[in-house]
Amino acid sequence: MNLFHTKYLVFLILVLFAAFLPMYIGEYWQYVLTIAFFYAILAASWNLLSGYTGLFSLAHHAFGMIGAYTSTLLMAKAGIPFWMSIPAGILLTMLISSLMGIMCLRVSGLYLALITWAFAEVARNYFRLHYTFTGGDRGLESSLLFGTIQPTPYYYLFLGLLIATIILIVLIMRSRIGYYLKAIRDDSIAARSMGVNIVRYKIFAFAVSSGLAGMAGAFYGHSIGLISPIMGDFNEMAMIIIFVVIGGIRTMPGPIIGAIAVRILMELLRAQSEVRILILSLLVIIIMRFFNGGLMELYRQIKQWINKDKNGGTSAYHEIETPKQGES
Amino acid sequence: MNNKNKILEMDNVVKIFGGLKANNGVSFEVEKGEIRGLIGPNGSGKTTLINQITGIYDATEGHIRYKGKKINGLQPDVIAAMGIMRTFQVARVFLNMTVLENMLIPAFTQGQSNNEANTRAEELLDFALLSRLKNKPTKSLSGGQFMLLQIVRGFMRKGLELYVMDEPFAGVHQSIKGIIIKSIKMMNQDKNVTFLIVSHEMATISSLCSKVTVLDKGARIAEGSMKEVANIPEVIDAYLGG
Amino acid sequence: MDLHLFSQFLISGLIMGVLYCLMSMGINFIYGIMKVINWSMGEFFMIGAFIQYLLLESFIGSEYWYIGVIISACAVFVLGALVQVILIKPMFVGIIEAKMEYVTIITIALAIFLRNLALLIGGPYIYTPPDYAKPTQLLTLPLSGNRLVAFIGALVLLGLFYFFIKKSWTGKAFQGVAQNRAGVQTSGVNVLRYDMLAFGLGTALAGAGGALMAPIFSVHPLCGLAPTIRGFEIIVIAGLGSIPGILVAGLLLGFAESLGSAFISPSFVDIYGFILLVIVLSIKPYGMFGKAERTV
Repeated sequence: MNLFHTKYLVFLILVLFAAFLPMYIGEYWQYVLTIAFFYAILAASWNLLSGYTGLFSLAHHAFGMIGAYTSTLLMAKAGIPFWMSIPAGILLTMLISSLMGIMCLRVSGLYLALITWAFAEVARNYFRLHYTFTGGDRGLESSLLFGTIQPTPYYYLFLGLLIATIILIVLIMRSRIGYYLKAIRDDSIAARSMGVNIVRYKIFAFAVSSGLAGMAGAFYGHSIGLISPIMGDFNEMAMIIIFVVIGGIRTMPGPIIGAIAVRILMELLRAQSEVRILILSLLVIIIMRFFNGGLMELYRQIKQWINKDKNGGTSAYHEIETPKQGES
Repeated sequence: MNNKNKILEMDNVVKIFGGLKANNGVSFEVEKGEIRGLIGPNGSGKTTLINQITGIYDATEGHIRYKGKKINGLQPDVIAAMGIMRTFQVARVFLNMTVLENMLIPAFTQGQSNNEANTRAEELLDFALLSRLKNKPTKSLSGGQFMLLQIVRGFMRKGLELYVMDEPFAGVHQSIKGIIIKSIKMMNQDKNVTFLIVSHEMATISSLCSKVTVLDKGARIAEGSMKEVANIPEVIDAYLGG
Repeated sequence: MDLHLFSQFLISGLIMGVLYCLMSMGINFIYGIMKVINWSMGEFFMIGAFIQYLLLESFIGSEYWYIGVIISACAVFVLGALVQVILIKPMFVGIIEAKMEYVTIITIALAIFLRNLALLIGGPYIYTPPDYAKPTQLLTLPLSGNRLVAFIGALVLLGLFYFFIKKSWTGKAFQGVAQNRAGVQTSGVNVLRYDMLAFGLGTALAGAGGALMAPIFSVHPLCGLAPTIRGFEIIVIAGLGSIPGILVAGLLLGFAESLGSAFISPSFVDIYGFILLVIVLSIKPYGMFGKAERTV
């Protein structure tokens, strides 16, 4: 790894920028960015599972919710301290998603989407139904991690979590496991015939991505102070997809840039709440229909045009998906 | 026949899909170091057989033995780990990776080090005249190059013992075909790799394979050298649509 | 709980179940032909409801509501076909296979787009067309006229749909496409054209459902959400691709919601369907009539 490679330099600069930012922006925007970082973690981890590995899940937001409720309830009802309740939340989401992965090993992508959709709805309704225990639709109060409502410590918390998430995903995708995950998406039959253990790596993808979502959710609860089943609402999942598509699916920076940029944009357009969603969804439709690569692809093409780069490289844009017989 | 020489045994293999009997009790043996042809008209069950050998399907009845050990019912990745590689009729390459990355996958799953894998990949790509494409996205290759890549990718496995190929010559340019044939012969002679090749190209099979097994309507109808089987009435009937 | 009350709930469940089947039938039909799931079905339901409301309020008058249903269905058919041609068809690599990821993302985005477009145009208001029929009685059980009428309407539509698929030449062509997309082309079937028709037809079913149910559920930009959820619940319970399964699952769902509301609590009506779903999936993970698809 060449530490002076441009990408790492840019990343470092961005991190430093983000680290110093709270000195110049008010509490309100620190809060906005904290939430944006939360969604960035969800977006990046969903991209790992559904973008890179091709396991299209519609339950990612629900794992965030499960992480949040697990940690919050353990604290509130059983008096378990943060340093145990949060890992418990993470472990539970990893366990549940691994089970789901096992159940869905042999099913088509379509069915996986359907089942994960159903799971998310069941989970959401579960927390709504048991309202005496979970507070139901009214929500559930969660102990604040830093015992204060000052946004600054939470800003750094989520910045740190985001950086850790990025590093983890980068390490995974650059390792052999990353190759296997991409191979699974490209052609899982060929991958198996080349010796890739599909079972192990699909479960790995589920567990890690959902674990990250659960982690984000757990910390989210203890940062905002209130969680509710809205976290498991389908709109949340749609937003995750929107962030990733706009930023650039199957790229490293894409989901993160998408999440942060869109969240900031949404905040700026607060007044026009329908219009902003209208524009975003239209943007997603246009990107998917004509362009597919999102912001990262735009960036890549601009770079290419500037450098007159002849080596095309592998990009998200204009991918080939030729499903072969025996696959759906 | 010494048991140790039999690398692959098909023992009365039956495969039924719903109402269709694709393989109807196929039995034959392949000796280590052979280049065996598997021929037969369309629909005779060749690909289904291949898929059962490599773990894509499980046999409905019967056994498939590799080096004496039963392998039907095992997962494709387990079978690959045992030293069996295969290619597909419609080339299955990882289109969204580079050519080099395609080559590395079977090496990585085997636990080869980065150095080992990359060196080996460079050698093979060199041999296949694909070197200059090594960092190109695979999707930019031609159809014939897909097939060639698929084939040399399998050669990345250390200790490869059995290579099963499904129509490796179909629709492939003459020059690429030449490279494929050369690689098969080389691997067979230098590394004693056994080949089981499904093909319709009689001339090529004739020159490459010492022995062919003929399938028709899901069963084995003949076996012998190309010359021998070409004169058997059942074989002629099968191809002319009896 | 006396028999009288119980039967009332059963009938209510029966009616709702059949109504939801209309949605599921549309979803399943599109899936059968194109092997994709249209996540924006609910929005076509909503559009159908809105068109019906506008027709009744401004053009036809509430007396001819059934004509309104037909017009709404046709309008949604056209819209659906247009959407298919513009957005979805190009996703198909070659002619035969679909890109599941793209279709899923684009139909989800489309759903959000349509929903918010409706909010922008129609505002966050609820519109209710006048009753289609007066409240009536089945034997001694009181029955909402709207529900009875919608029930009959749905049965008629489902019946027509069934006969169309089974008996007409076009219907048989659809069956062919559903069974073998690649092979059916050799019989001269233009698969892409049938994709468009299927999408239009499926969405039209949803639109008709919206028009029929307008006086029951009222018309507003989010009125498609609940039917979507029910529609998909039914598909998961029944298992993808099973038409009789949809009817069975639809009825079960209707009963589950009705009885749950009666015996447990009416405020969690959304949840009973999911309880049923969990129960069914724990016994049969691929749905009641679904097969474990082996994709290796």
